[in-house]
Amino acid sequence: MERIERIPMEEQSGPRSREELEANKMPYEEFCRKLFDVGNEFSKPQALKGIRWLSCTMYIFTPHMVSNLAELGAEVIKIEFPRLADPMKHTSPFNEAYVYPLHDDRPLSGQGLGVINANVNKYFITLDYHRPEAIEVMYRLVKMSDGLTECYRPGTFDKWKISYRYLMEINPRFIYVWGGGFGYGPKVFGGSYDILGQAHAGLASITGFHEDFGGFPVKHTNWVIDWYSGTLGTAGILAALYWREKTGLGTMIEFSQVMCAARCIGYTWPLYGKWGIVRQRWGNWDTLLCVHGIICCGKSDYPDSKNPQLRDEARYVMISAFKDEDFKELCKIINRMDLYEKYQKHKDRVEATAQIEIYNALEEWARDKSRSEVTKILTEAGLLAMPVLNDKEIYESPHFRARGTIRWQADPSYGDILVHSTYSAGLLSKTPRRKYWDARPVGADNLRIYRELLGYPMSTIKEWYAKGII
Amino acid sequence: MADKTLSPVKFLEQILEPEKKTDHICWQCKYFKWVLKGSKLPPADIIGWCKKIHWPFYWVVPEKYVIKECYAYEPKE
Amino acid sequence: MCDIIWCKKCDTVNYLDPFNFWNWEGKIGCAGCGTVYYIHMINGYMYRGPEERPGETPDILPLYADQPNNGYEKFLPGIPGKTRPYNCLPREIYLGRADYRKFSIRGRPVRGWAPQPKSTGPAGSHPFIWQVEKHSPEVWQEFIEKKKKGEVKDW
Repeated sequence: MERIERIPMEEQSGPRSREELEANKMPYEEFCRKLFDVGNEFSKPQALKGIRWLSCTMYIFTPHMVSNLAELGAEVIKIEFPRLADPMKHTSPFNEAYVYPLHDDRPLSGQGLGVINANVNKYFITLDYHRPEAIEVMYRLVKMSDGLTECYRPGTFDKWKISYRYLMEINPRFIYVWGGGFGYGPKVFGGSYDILGQAHAGLASITGFHEDFGGFPVKHTNWVIDWYSGTLGTAGILAALYWREKTGLGTMIEFSQVMCAARCIGYTWPLYGKWGIVRQRWGNWDTLLCVHGIICCGKSDYPDSKNPQLRDEARYVMISAFKDEDFKELCKIINRMDLYEKYQKHKDRVEATAQIEIYNALEEWARDKSRSEVTKILTEAGLLAMPVLNDKEIYESPHFRARGTIRWQADPSYGDILVHSTYSAGLLSKTPRRKYWDARPVGADNLRIYRELLGYPMSTIKEWYAKGII
Repeated sequence: MADKTLSPVKFLEQILEPEKKTDHICWQCKYFKWVLKGSKLPPADIIGWCKKIHWPFYWVVPEKYVIKECYAYEPKE
Repeated sequence: MCDIIWCKKCDTVNYLDPFNFWNWEGKIGCAGCGTVYYIHMINGYMYRGPEERPGETPDILPLYADQPNNGYEKFLPGIPGKTRPYNCLPREIYLGRADYRKFSIRGRPVRGWAPQPKSTGPAGSHPFIWQVEKHSPEVWQEFIEKKKKGEVKDW
């Protein structure tokens, strides 16, 4: 081997000059494709490999908090109530979308699709915490785990002697996460649902159209606050893991979903604090930018479809043209230069009355056009316009497919399922998220955990199973 | 059946009974939205909101500062 | 609770569902005889009307109507010219029959039907792989046939 410095420049491989180096670089698009290599995540390492987490969770919020860790490589053990399972498994859109089986003892019950993505890659075991045998199992699991997430009412785990006060004595490195509704305080005993978080934190009061236009407080159709607070909870766990890396000490994280919903209401409280102004809903428009909103077009993109969701609903388009020159262009297109003359400054057109006039003019212009026509006209003029997509169109979108955001996964237990997890939460070049399975039947990994990990004899396991302890 | 002589605004006033009456001129203003009778919220020291100042946001009208004149005042029809 | 228009001509009760008529002014057609009534509702209370407006076209039709003195003959949503369509009508499957699926929309097997053949080991443990050809050979057979017909796609 000859040292590279001794090889004459012209004989070295690679570019001869900076210009050549630049010319030889692959295009950024290609670079990204190669770097992230969507669909090939299983050949790469996992960031959280070696972390073991206990997931004593239910519904969406707390399971999703841990599911994020499992997607990143942590080994997660989900503890469910024997035979009954996570109650979320029994919920399904309009009680019809299930995959089977839930458990052999309950042949006609399935797992609802409502739970999908909340329990990715977890090992599913069962345990009844009320039984005296359960305490020993829990303590043994805690000794060999890094943390636990639970969602029972405050003090319940304390009553069962498995709260942070007890567990920190067994394992001082233990990270204990409580996630739930209100947390300690005057409303400590309140339970929680996503809709409660949206309503109680003031999020629903600023969602939907203004009262003057016949609007009313609106909840997001999906359980956004469950998913959102779960993700924030994961951020807390990662910080706690880093803190433990530095100090060797565990943490207790107390995570109130209702408080968490307050995190995404923006300037609402500062506004109230400064002037006593109660923020109102402003619907599909923006309070800080104009034009920057969603308008309704007159014609549907699928006028002949039998499906009303396509025939009647595929009419909305998002338009953004808030800079002065963009707004001028927009006014030229809709042939309303008088609007531009009237509202030349952004400060003027962002006013509520101006917005009403401008968006009305836009909808008037779009009355005889379909959504795709509007998008085409505005995009060709260099403005930002995007149709409001439904799931059918997202399914067909090449962009979502190329990035792996939506994809088909042959789930090992349930077969062919269209999923969005993993790549929808950011691409990591070195340690990508991955999904082995979405969920498992009740107690599917009882043997793996109780026998292979904890080393209980088969006779004990069978006895516990017969008694309903596991 | 409603009294046919009432205007829509007066009609709405009949339906939406206020929690308390005060000396504010807001009661004669068409932008005032008062606290409804029987409301537990909002806190007791406000009589309602102004829908004009900072519209589309609502400006809180407190009970203890009695408003005698206001730049946004417009009488009901 | 909602307000009603009781049409005395044909003895039909037209129900004004609060979502549409809470604050509303306009003309509504009777589902029974087509008489046009003008109403103005404020905050859920009837402020003006119902007044007959003969010869005018209605702005909206009721969603539902019935005739209590005539055996409650119903006008369900979506009768052309009588009631307004309601696009979220329950599909037949909401009426008690589970909509089982054996294949996803791209034609590959999905475990969407019950009961499944038993596959649990001791203490509820479950294998990691669903072997379709072993557990449900009839579905596997159907899948092979689908494949031959070209009904199995990538997307």
